Amino acid sequence: MRLLSHNQHTRPVVLLATVFACFALFDFNQGRFLSIATLTSELDTFCTIGLVALGLGATMVIGEFDLSVPGVFGMAGCIAVLSGVEHPAMGFLLAVLAGLSAGIIQGLLIHRLRLTSIGVTLGGLLITVGVAYVLTDSASIPYDNLDVALAMNDQYAGVFTSRTLMTIAVFAIVAVLASITRIGRDVVATGSDRNAALVAGVNVGGILVGIFAFSGALSAMSGALLSYSLASASPAGLSDVLVPAATAAIIGGVSLGGGTGRPLGIAAGVLTLAAFRSGFSAIGAEPWVSDITTSVALLFVSVLDAPALAGRFRRLMHLGDPADLK
Amino acid sequence: MRKAILRLVPPAMGSITPLNRFRRLDGSQIRAILHAVFILALMIAALATPGFLSGPALQSLLTTISFIGCVAVGMTLVTISGNILALSLGATVGASALVVIAASNRSGLAEAIPLALMFGSMVGAVQGALIGCLRANPIIVTIATSVLIYGAAQPITGNAAFYAVYPTSDSLLNARLLGMPIEFVVFVAILLICQFLLSFTVFGRNVFMVGDSFNAARAAGLRPWATIIGAYSCAGAFSAIAGIMLALRYGRASMEFGLGYDYSAIAAVLVGGTAISGGQGSAIRTFAGMMIIGIVQVVLLLQGFRQEWQYLITGVIVLGVVLLSPPAGR
Repeated sequence: MRLLSHNQHTRPVVLLATVFACFALFDFNQGRFLSIATLTSELDTFCTIGLVALGLGATMVIGEFDLSVPGVFGMAGCIAVLSGVEHPAMGFLLAVLAGLSAGIIQGLLIHRLRLTSIGVTLGGLLITVGVAYVLTDSASIPYDNLDVALAMNDQYAGVFTSRTLMTIAVFAIVAVLASITRIGRDVVATGSDRNAALVAGVNVGGILVGIFAFSGALSAMSGALLSYSLASASPAGLSDVLVPAATAAIIGGVSLGGGTGRPLGIAAGVLTLAAFRSGFSAIGAEPWVSDITTSVALLFVSVLDAPALAGRFRRLMHLGDPADLK
Repeated sequence: MRKAILRLVPPAMGSITPLNRFRRLDGSQIRAILHAVFILALMIAALATPGFLSGPALQSLLTTISFIGCVAVGMTLVTISGNILALSLGATVGASALVVIAASNRSGLAEAIPLALMFGSMVGAVQGALIGCLRANPIIVTIATSVLIYGAAQPITGNAAFYAVYPTSDSLLNARLLGMPIEFVVFVAILLICQFLLSFTVFGRNVFMVGDSFNAARAAGLRPWATIIGAYSCAGAFSAIAGIMLALRYGRASMEFGLGYDYSAIAAVLVGGTAISGGQGSAIRTFAGMMIIGIVQVVLLLQGFRQEWQYLITGVIVLGVVLLSPPAGR
């Protein structure tokens, strides 16, 4: 319990190991959870949610929140499908550039006008959703270049697809950059105490704009890859990503208060969520079992992270000074 | 000669031009002017739109804003109390609609409506307890509650709608009061109750104090957790009212009823000018925000804009209004 409540770095790994162990025990020798099909399904969920969770988690690490990720995700998928029939790479690039631009504009507005990220990114969400509807005339659109769709789903080593490998590569690069360069340290410093970071010489504005650009670009990348993989795009988005991404980031040790969280922790959080979904599906449970379990786990994590939990607990046990627990 | 006169005039007086007057205004005055210009432009656009003042257009506008408006008024209380983004209110709308239809099929509307109200209020109170007593993060708690409600509804409903055994809409919600749809009357009643709570009661004063500074409110001898539980309970109850009205109007209930209401409600709160960091705002402001968004959508519809352009232009307007809001304290 102490590992879960006090160490944000080990918690995601402990949770992931616990979830895997529970499913493996439940599925003892039946080969439903510990199978190639379940692993492939988990990695598929990891691809869809992972990059969005990484970007959203980064905004949470600096103490902000990017509500626009589902809008950028859907818009990028539409841009990629519309512009990438002849030249898929160009379509992908345009989609990522659109997400990057959306992130930069939002970051600049938040920084320059000193506005709250919730308000600005809510506007960003509504605008990007609107752009996606305008681009597609409010209809789902098929992607005619089926060669690309097939190539996206080609499997390597039995379980990996191009999408999986790209997602893992992005996580690895970001994890390395966060641990060996100044950027990672500055991001955490910005989220921990913005004024102290400013005094210490951190380019807080640059970090803020950069993180929102990063979030926009990763959401767009994820949306474009999913659209190529499913050979279609929808202005409503092919998948609900905000709630799972926020859940994965939080399970992965990111604190909404800022200053806490690592890329590998977020990866573990996404894998935990993916294990919940694929694991329950593999053992034949209804989808709602996964939803309820995930929400209970999220409530559990939120209670563990609650600043007043220890005080309330002490008061309950009559061990602390009631005066400071009012 | 002109140079001589200018030398006699103090520099400050010599530089009073309309442009300089504008430059001397502080941020809040400039924002107030831009708000006024925006509202004036919107009113002119609305009045210049053929059919805007027609009965059907106004009825449609008032009915549409009533459902989301109830949720937005609840969101206002939660936002003023310093807890941004109650992302579970949409799920509460859908679940309350299910409760009222299921209960009315068993024991009639007289028992079903209080039961649904109690359900919404309890869902809000539990979240308020976690947030107020333990200081758990409001976004995480409300996201988790939303997933929990949608997850729990699946085995109960089998992903299908609940239908009322007896028709409900004919008897209740097709009625008019002073020519206004009954949903709008209910919404205005909720709005006035919320504004009364905020302006004239100890609870309302506490909501502002807790939203302004949780620690200061605690130091002043308040019980912030009780205030936060109260704010979330009211938000849950107001969302339940939206669910009840939707269920009665359509004679059925589905978890799809509340989809997207959270974002629409927070957009109305922000457009109305309630401070997202808490401690400032009013239900009347949210009503204004709701009306602005509703009028923009009706004007765009009547001007022949397709739905996709309505989404985009509404988004631009919401962002524009957010940009006019005062800077956040960092």
